[in-house]
Amino acid sequence: MSRSQRVDSTGFNSLFREALSRWQEEVVQLDLVDPVTTEMVRLRCAEHHDCHT
Amino acid sequence: MRESTSEFFERVLGGRTRVVKELGNIHDLAWEVTDKEILGLCKLRIAMILGCESEVKSMGKQLNSLKVSDLSQWPTSNHFSDLEKSCLRFTEEFIIDVASIPDDSAFAIRDDLGDEGFVNFVNALLVIEQRMRLLIVWQKMFEGVKV
Repeated sequence: MSRSQRVDSTGFNSLFREALSRWQEEVVQLDLVDPVTTEMVRLRCAEHHDCHT
Repeated sequence: MRESTSEFFERVLGGRTRVVKELGNIHDLAWEVTDKEILGLCKLRIAMILGCESEVKSMGKQLNSLKVSDLSQWPTSNHFSDLEKSCLRFTEEFIIDVASIPDDSAFAIRDDLGDEGFVNFVNALLVIEQRMRLLIVWQKMFEGVKV
């Protein structure tokens, strides 16, 4: 299995891309969970998704 | 009348209207940028794997009944096209172990839909999966009922 990027992930529907960005921006601005826990979850999710960004 | 998934999210998220709005936007767009029948099959397969009975029931009514009845045996069924099978294979791998999806699974879809179509499909799948996981967890937290 390749660990390199398989396709250009920026080259998809621009409306969808922008909407996903806005959704993520809104989610990270939620403040009911403390910052340390939030960051631990974020890093765990990044590892699970093999995300290096 | 049964509360829809969108209505449930609005109720749980309360005054967080911008999050509600953006969650709705990405869900609507997920269906616009992909083949609805294929995404519907993948959504039903996700619901079956995650044990989301409300979505299994809901999606089961919207799709071809022959495909619905054969969905758990899609690899050996004659009711699915090669692309549908590729998408279902990818979906199962995505749900079970997203970091270990074989190249062949990804390339089979990319070769058919192209780079943009493939990325649209994967992002749509992500939206569907996240939304369903939220539904499962929040229903258990806030409703105490079987999902």
